[in-house]
Amino acid sequence: MMRIPRPKPVDYSRFASAATSREAKYGLPGHVAFCQRCVISNQRPNSAVEFSHTIESKKATIHFDEQGVCDACRLSERKRQTIDWEARDRELRELCDRFRRHDGGYDCLVPGSGGKDSFYAAHILKHRYGMHPLTCTWAPHIYTSWGWQNFQSWIHAGFDNYLMTPNGRVHRLLTRLAVDVLLHPFQPFILGQKNLAPKMAALHDIPLVIYGENEAEYGNPIADAGQSRRDWNYFAASDQSKIHLGGVSVASLKSDFGLDDNDLQPYLPADPEQIKQKKIEVHYLGYYLKWHPQSCYYYAVEHGGFQASPERTPGTYSKYNSIDDRIDDLHYYTTGIKFGIGRATYDAAQEIRSGDITREEGVALVKRFDHEFPDRFADELWRYLSLPENEFPVASRCFDQPIMDKDYFMALCDQFRSPHLWEYDQGGWRLRHAVWHEDRAAA
Amino acid sequence: MRHIRLIPRLDIKGPNLIKGVHLEGLRVVGDPHGYAVRYYEQGADELLFMDAVASLYGRNQLSHIIERAVQHVFVPITVGGGIRSLDDARQVLRAGADKIAINTAAIARPELVSELAQHLGAQCVVVSIEAKEQSPGHWEAYTDNGRERSGRDVVAWAQQAVALGAGELLITSVDREGTRRGFDVALLAAVAAAVNVPVIASGGMGQPAHALAAAQAGVDAVAAADLLHYQRCSVADIKQALSSGGMAVRKV
Repeated sequence: MMRIPRPKPVDYSRFASAATSREAKYGLPGHVAFCQRCVISNQRPNSAVEFSHTIESKKATIHFDEQGVCDACRLSERKRQTIDWEARDRELRELCDRFRRHDGGYDCLVPGSGGKDSFYAAHILKHRYGMHPLTCTWAPHIYTSWGWQNFQSWIHAGFDNYLMTPNGRVHRLLTRLAVDVLLHPFQPFILGQKNLAPKMAALHDIPLVIYGENEAEYGNPIADAGQSRRDWNYFAASDQSKIHLGGVSVASLKSDFGLDDNDLQPYLPADPEQIKQKKIEVHYLGYYLKWHPQSCYYYAVEHGGFQASPERTPGTYSKYNSIDDRIDDLHYYTTGIKFGIGRATYDAAQEIRSGDITREEGVALVKRFDHEFPDRFADELWRYLSLPENEFPVASRCFDQPIMDKDYFMALCDQFRSPHLWEYDQGGWRLRHAVWHEDRAAA
Repeated sequence: MRHIRLIPRLDIKGPNLIKGVHLEGLRVVGDPHGYAVRYYEQGADELLFMDAVASLYGRNQLSHIIERAVQHVFVPITVGGGIRSLDDARQVLRAGADKIAINTAAIARPELVSELAQHLGAQCVVVSIEAKEQSPGHWEAYTDNGRERSGRDVVAWAQQAVALGAGELLITSVDREGTRRGFDVALLAAVAAAVNVPVIASGGMGQPAHALAAAQAGVDAVAAADLLHYQRCSVADIKQALSSGGMAVRKV
């Protein structure tokens, strides 16, 4: 039987400021560098196939060129300088002409949360490009009240929507496992969200799926069609010990944690044969339209009464992006622990690339807000991550301590700190390398 | 007839005039100097300069912008953002400001309001309150450009600030700011009824008629930003709406 142990104290000598051998976990680069234009570090992992994500996985990380500039900054440079956006707009019109329906059916599927970006995508497709979108949403772990309001505003701005909310018990268990095994509380959301749209497209016979912003690949009009096939190959593999959810094999989820095939349905990828037969295409609007998150915010306020959150998100300064899931607070806290990259770094890097803030301001924002512990929803999140015996009679037996609390979580975090990023001194953790140290180094 | 002042509000970040929605998604508008001079020439009664990143850097960085503005602008100027001490306030006044506005530092240490009022005079001290509705009839005061909760009730804090020596209050609705949906009139009425110093309404003016609604709620001045920065109307249009509604305005 699989056993999830209580986290043990770490060996602090590995984190001493004078420690000479500094292990880099997760295959991260041993030398830490920061992009010369934004504030991202070279430790940022690329997105990966989550089904094969285990504690042994080695991360591929963002590429920096000889000038010390990251790929994301180079892409935004191309967005400003070399891409012919009028030609891209014509391409989008041709794409829409190819799929547009006049028989009352939906002609495209727009997956999203009703945040500023998906609001913009669905609204502009409908009103500027004359499409008839169906929207679909994979629910957050725990909605914030303003996230729920914005989701409602999206629907009330004129869209049909299917909301898929996974079985709360299964979702909580997978989230807890993802935390204990991978320190990745957001993984179950990512899995479900990624797989929902192709399945909905197949179910409703809508051959065009349009996402909003493409995280990286502005250069490719059609999303990597191989991805769904790759995911499916994992799942279709007869050896269920090789497919992982929350870092635990499907075989073990069934034999040790009490889940069955039906429980795992929402996390399964779409059948690639069906996708092929129905000729479903997946496109990113960010390829066709020059994407600017701040402009999406203005657009969503103007056309749908989108509201920023009532306070800045812990760990950052922003109030307008990724605000609908209470577990997001922990998600970015854990990226800070594992990779040294907190929420303010992600936000500031994006806003620097978009020309909304200067690098100097970005550095100051990172220094002030990155790695702040998110207290506001903590008690509720510990309850969400707890597996009391009466609710989880089988799974709870696999845990030394089924009930999550802050001490447990912080001890777990320490286990996931990489000695090449963190030092422990006088009772506190400090980053060995931070973007605001650069002045010191230059001086 | 009650006299109502119109005060263009210029939020500044670094060298730029900026504008947000709900004090968020700050968009670069342009060089603040040209806007300030234009508003003065159009007949603005006062100008308000707010350093939007002062709390981040822990200091007000508007001195150069103010020094330049006062060469061409001959109406009272209020400067806010990052003022934490009497020394900070004096520096801003030396640059040419007539009044200082404080929020974050006053919430952290309310005695600062008294210290400033004693040394500079109450007429010089504007307490700025960023208000966000929590339930109908209840607003919480925020700090750090609408980002941090303070736990303080807006009306109670307004009364306390006046008791400590504030000579004027700037009331900004975070809910309405940048939305052009009109002022939070209930908020303005609640504050105006609770204090005996002038109140400046800020946040939400989307058309000249909104200024009149604020005036009727009992405020003494209205601030305008979006409407003027994006040239949706002029200073004269707003004054005209106030005047038609029976309010007195300074004629230019």
